[in-house]
Amino acid sequence: MAAEPESEEMPTSAGEGAGDGASIPDTESIDDEGYVIGSGRAGVVRQIDHDDFDPIGTLVLIAIYMAIVGAMWIFMYFVEFLGGDLTVIG
Amino acid sequence: MATFVDRYPDEAKVVQASFAVAFIALGIGAFFGLIQALHRTNILRVIDSVDYYTLLTAHGVLLALVFTIFFLVGVFTWAIAKGFERPLPDIRLTWAWFGLMTTGTVLTAVAILAGLVPEIPMSADVLYTFYAPLEAHPAFYIGLAMFIVGTWMAGADWFLAYRDWRGDNPDERIPLQPFMVLTTMIMWYVSTLGVAVAVVFFLIPWSLGLIETVNPLLTRTLFWYFGHPVVYFWLMPAYLLWYTVLPKLAGGRLFSDPLARVVFVLFVLLSTPVGIHHQYVDPGIAEGFKFIAMTNTMFLLLPSLLTAFTVVASVEHGARQRGGEGYLSWLGALPWRDPAFAGMALAGLMFAAGGFSGMVNAGMNINYLVHNTLWVPGHFHMTVGTAVALTMMAGTYWLLPQITGKTVYSRPIGLFQVVLWFIGMVFMSNAMHRGGLLGIPRRTAEPQYQNFDFAAAVGSVGEIRMQIAFGGLLLFLSVVFFLFNVAATWAEDRVDTPVDDTIPAPLSPPSGAPLILDNLALWTGIAVVLVVLAYTLPLASIVTDSGLLGSSPGFPVAISLEALAEAAASALPHVSLDAAAGLRPLDVAAEAAETLEVSR
Amino acid sequence: MEIHRYEKIWLAGALLLIVGFIATISYGAVGAGIEMVDDDGGQIEPNAISDHPKFSEPGTYKTGENEYDVYVVAYQFAFDPGTSDPIRVPANSEVTFHITSRDVVHGFEIVGTNANTMAIPGQVATITVEFGEPTEYGLLCHEYCGSAHHAMEGSIQVVPQSQWNESMVVN
Ligand code: HEM
Ligand SMILES: [Cu+2]
Ligand SMILES: [Cu+2]
Repeated sequence: MAAEPESEEMPTSAGEGAGDGASIPDTESIDDEGYVIGSGRAGVVRQIDHDDFDPIGTLVLIAIYMAIVGAMWIFMYFVEFLGGDLTVIG
Repeated sequence: MATFVDRYPDEAKVVQASFAVAFIALGIGAFFGLIQALHRTNILRVIDSVDYYTLLTAHGVLLALVFTIFFLVGVFTWAIAKGFERPLPDIRLTWAWFGLMTTGTVLTAVAILAGLVPEIPMSADVLYTFYAPLEAHPAFYIGLAMFIVGTWMAGADWFLAYRDWRGDNPDERIPLQPFMVLTTMIMWYVSTLGVAVAVVFFLIPWSLGLIETVNPLLTRTLFWYFGHPVVYFWLMPAYLLWYTVLPKLAGGRLFSDPLARVVFVLFVLLSTPVGIHHQYVDPGIAEGFKFIAMTNTMFLLLPSLLTAFTVVASVEHGARQRGGEGYLSWLGALPWRDPAFAGMALAGLMFAAGGFSGMVNAGMNINYLVHNTLWVPGHFHMTVGTAVALTMMAGTYWLLPQITGKTVYSRPIGLFQVVLWFIGMVFMSNAMHRGGLLGIPRRTAEPQYQNFDFAAAVGSVGEIRMQIAFGGLLLFLSVVFFLFNVAATWAEDRVDTPVDDTIPAPLSPPSGAPLILDNLALWTGIAVVLVVLAYTLPLASIVTDSGLLGSSPGFPVAISLEALAEAAASALPHVSLDAAAGLRPLDVAAEAAETLEVSR
Repeated sequence: MEIHRYEKIWLAGALLLIVGFIATISYGAVGAGIEMVDDDGGQIEPNAISDHPKFSEPGTYKTGENEYDVYVVAYQFAFDPGTSDPIRVPANSEVTFHITSRDVVHGFEIVGTNANTMAIPGQVATITVEFGEPTEYGLLCHEYCGSAHHAMEGSIQVVPQSQWNESMVVN
């Protein structure tokens, strides 16, 4: 489903901002380096819509996470636990 | 330009007051945390080991209950007013629950801290899990009960706001933030029932002497019926901020509103029928029940794993909009200098690690390896102690301006502070995990023993201790900087636009979410059914085995004498004889200790 | 409801991970034969432990060829046996510990091993383990049980079969 540009602002934001996602209330106090708290959107250089966005970086990150977790689980279960002294068998 | 405090001045005051209580608790709790970290590692002992347990009780209660939950009620009040775009129905009700929660907190805190003053015949060194038959002063339990009832009233307040809003907006989707608040509160109502029964029907009458005995396994099981969902109660305000605020801070938009709703519904359904996973090595509970709790727990990983994807994707969206490229180098395009963003992102990263040790905790038989060792505090300082606490501190940098109308005093101090917390926690909790694998127990003032030493295959016990103490010091300093920054912010003058408080619309809008997700009554019903299925048989068998009231009289913790240890040790043979004859060993030890005290 | 295909991949991966965890744990239970502490030990009246046939005289009992029962009473702030006298068991034997508490909740951990359980008044925890060569283990209480909790410790001596005789039994 495509994003609806006219509902860009969530109703929760009390309709302050204009439709454009990057617009922020007080442009003077903003820079795009994140030197002002909450100004992340001031650094936006391009609008990426729902249909143009594939979170490939996310997939890569969580694949790495999955690999680490799987390996650590095997280590913890089979080496640290089953390899340990005195297994409870009853 | 108006922000929250201009639109909802009354609500802003309640949020301010809630945050103030939360931060006072954080300051005291962190100070005690430092003392504990130095004491148990034997680096510096400024208190008696007997008082260690007083501080530990206070640390657990002040941080895990007071800090987290007062912050939660603040954020939720903010989210409800902002999300429904209307003031709360009756601000007197709002102040009433705030008052009740605060009074309960004070009562409990006084009962605990009185343990440090021998002149006051009051003690509650029972730790925040208050396992019977260790018995605290009644004020401890009564304060806790008031605190819980206060949270129930807060939930009622928010549901009333929902009813009013629904009256005016019969066909709209529940806005996302209020949706999160309401589902979280449903979970809370279902789960606090257990602890409320334990406290009101058993522990309060018992501590007042109205009933003689309790069934320790029953009150313990009721505690854990509540004890796991409370974990999600801490986590949900963090999730709310990760889903709705973090994407914006990153310069992006929430990836999917419908999936966020699915996740919260899953928490309503699955958070409670898992509590027995804290009792994997308890006698008196059949292995089958433990296995069921284990599978439920494992499936409870699902909403958190989904959250990982959705939140990271939303952050990635921000990075791409800010010009980020590549598979991983987009990470560099994020606004890392913003303490609100950096703090939450680091908190999320730490949660990934804490999540892994949680998977181990959940693993039923592998629990033999880690149960009640230092591994466990290592785990939850990464989760509640960082994922939640650091997100709350980071969120404060964005929320405080909205509820006070003041800009944050110092962004660099904020950034320094959140990074310091992260580093401190890497040291402390990694070392705690390692120590736990050697068998070093948690909740122990002096884990240095006469009969044996702990053997480290890698590194040494001394090095582990140093890391715990050093990490604890960094964490404490981080809290000091945080509190300074908050106080300095509060002391400033109001400005027109203290912070950019807009929240951009999600990429996948709520209209894509099946309507059934908003059917709160349905999810409540299913949650109750699942709880009944998971708990009826275990509770019935515990009651059939040992009776509703069991046969354990209270063992008050009111004795606070340093000589107790030696006295107990030297009196051993006699104690065992006397106790076999029906005398309480603690009384004997206390007598012995008193004699010592007098003769000094 | 529309879900991005990457998120579907992740969902599948997450489910696989969960099933993998449950499979590992089931293997531990069935394949490696690990049993959880459960309700097998039954109940006991915590105020009348002296009436119990075994807990009234806690210690090591021989129950079969290379099989022993060890009864341990935990109390503030010691194990009996364990603290004043070490628990003694013969090497290369199968030992079932029966543990209860006569006052508050305690823990029972044989240091550096997987033998780890709670001691709850009114309940008897039973765990069976196999001891190997002669050695000595530490024993500690890992549940806060009062102001001298940290002093609650002891030891277990695994003595050579050849030296083992009934006089080594503490009960
Ligand atoms: C300055 C930061 C902190 C330090 C130095 C610190 C240190 C410690 C230490 C050393 C323990 C282990 C005590 C023991 O088992 O003997 C502990 C326990 C605990 N901490 Fe922290 N901690 C900090 C922050 C937090 C935060 C932010 C939370 C939660 C929001 C938290 C929640 C807990 C809980 C629930 C316990 C367990 C209490 C118990 O076992 O009864 N801590 N802390
Ligand atoms: Cu849990
Ligand atoms: Cu203990």
